[in-house]
Amino acid sequence: MNIIETHNLSKQYQQGELSVNALTGISMNLPRKSFAALLGPSGSGKSTLLNICGLIDKPSNGKLFFCGEDITHASEKELTKIRRNNLGFIFQGFNLVPVMSVFDNIEYPLILSGVDKKARKERVNAMLDMVGLTELKKHLPDQISGGQKQRVAIARALITQPSLVIADEPTANLDSRTATGIIQLMHKMHRELSTSFIIATHDERMSSQCDSALQLHDGELQ
Amino acid sequence: MKWLKLAMKNVLRNRRRAIVTMLITAVGVAAILIGGGFANFTYVSLKEMAARSSGHLIVAHKDYFEQEESIPMEYGLSDYKTLAKTLKADDEVRYAIPRVEFSGLISNGEKSTIFMGSGVDAKYEFKVKGPFLQIEQGNVLSKRERSDDPKVMLGLDLAKSLNANVDDSLTLISTTVDGGLNAVDVTVQGIFSTGMPEVDKRSIIVSIDTAQSVLLTEKVSSLALHLRDTESTFTKYDELSEKHTELAWQTWLDEAFFYVGVKNLYNRIFGLLGIIIVMMVFFSIYNTVNMSVVERTREIGTLRAIGTYSTEIMRNFILEGMFIGLIGAITGITIAFLTSLGLSIADIQMPPPPGRTTSYPLVIDVPTFLYLSTAFLSATICILAAWLSSYKASKKPIVGALSHV
Repeated sequence: MNIIETHNLSKQYQQGELSVNALTGISMNLPRKSFAALLGPSGSGKSTLLNICGLIDKPSNGKLFFCGEDITHASEKELTKIRRNNLGFIFQGFNLVPVMSVFDNIEYPLILSGVDKKARKERVNAMLDMVGLTELKKHLPDQISGGQKQRVAIARALITQPSLVIADEPTANLDSRTATGIIQLMHKMHRELSTSFIIATHDERMSSQCDSALQLHDGELQ
Repeated sequence: MKWLKLAMKNVLRNRRRAIVTMLITAVGVAAILIGGGFANFTYVSLKEMAARSSGHLIVAHKDYFEQEESIPMEYGLSDYKTLAKTLKADDEVRYAIPRVEFSGLISNGEKSTIFMGSGVDAKYEFKVKGPFLQIEQGNVLSKRERSDDPKVMLGLDLAKSLNANVDDSLTLISTTVDGGLNAVDVTVQGIFSTGMPEVDKRSIIVSIDTAQSVLLTEKVSSLALHLRDTESTFTKYDELSEKHTELAWQTWLDEAFFYVGVKNLYNRIFGLLGIIIVMMVFFSIYNTVNMSVVERTREIGTLRAIGTYSTEIMRNFILEGMFIGLIGAITGITIAFLTSLGLSIADIQMPPPPGRTTSYPLVIDVPTFLYLSTAFLSATICILAAWLSSYKASKKPIVGALSHV
């Protein structure tokens, strides 16, 4: 079964009186356990498609299926529930909560899911071990490096063992050495946890690690 | 618990702003409590003064309060002693004190002036008046006054007008119940002040016997019932007025014109101030939470993306607002408590209110319900302000929130 399936998806934005087509006729399938790259130049619609796949934006037309279920017209509440239980996000700017420690940032999605305290502690500690941040668990995001922040973001995205992780330019804000480490970490997590990834990227090292690639140009799949 | 911790951490993100907002809330809460405490002390004092002056309940002939008497004591109570005994049998009634209200002329031999007299039972009357009747010279009437040596107490301004001092002899002249004139010589026993010059200019107090001998009557004007608890006035009024329908009944409130006037005035003044303070606190918290919401728009977008419901986002901001309100309220309550304590030690006197001559102590008496209701109000304002400012942000499209700079 596919994690994500789209049928003739399109998205228009209104800019003043102008209607801009960000995506046109997108039909695609993202199978389970895939590690897919979403490629394309700036303005090609990568982020828009990623947002729709991440259920944080809605298509203007077409159909969207998540794990076989038609969610094109799902309510915001239903979409939030799906995101909470089945999706993880990795942002270009890390987007950690600055007042929460590394541990707390990773723990947050588990609190939302209602996992009890003891289980949360065990799972967060195991995840910290996997991403190599055990020593820094009490640090605040401001007290760690960019690469470490992105590791925290990866850990946060994977802590609920989601079906799909959406990553938007995860290495764009990192130097090349740190970026390589992050790519390796994401690949390792994909292998060990069997989580699907869809990654919008310009980074060739990242795309070369992916088992499939979707190429976008002017809002259309190539 | 996690949410409370998170809210506290978020409140402390911008410490200076949070502290200023808490201080504004604290000052607002303290101002409401101090103003309310002062008004409450005034109400309680005036209520007590009015009730002690007139009695909690006043019972009279059924036409006494409605009709004008064509001759003195036309609507007086005849068998008042039996009635007083019957009413006194009620456990909640402490005293049933007879009163004779009369008027006439008072003369020192050279000058005569109008008086408004009260014939009272000295045994109980001065006990219930307590500190609300200020003796300027001499003493109150004796419980065992000799019938051949009647005494009088004069209002301060009346005594000045007649140039009378203690032990001076004066003459009371009044219309009797038969319509004739009668005069009785009295000796000044004391000079009193009610604090109201208009009253002190005309008031005299004599014993019931003296008043009855002036009017040539056995009747009294009314009975003043003093209850053990002022709060039971109105239930007792309902009970007794239903039981004794042949009589007319009033409560202390019917005669407490000054109390009603002051209460109406203070309610308006302090009510308006209260509304201004509440608005000030509301906008201060609204502004603080709003700034925080704007600064954290991107974070809100992130939290929404990873599965936080918009109601949960709002709840977090509401908790933050509640923290600010709670800490502000606790600080405000502490300020108000210390202020009231300080004022009671300092013994500051307020200038006499309009129409009065006596000053009164500045006391802040904050009742428990005012503490609780102000704390509740503060929390409610904070919740409302936080809800209003976070509602819009929590409903903002996630993509828009994530791209917020």
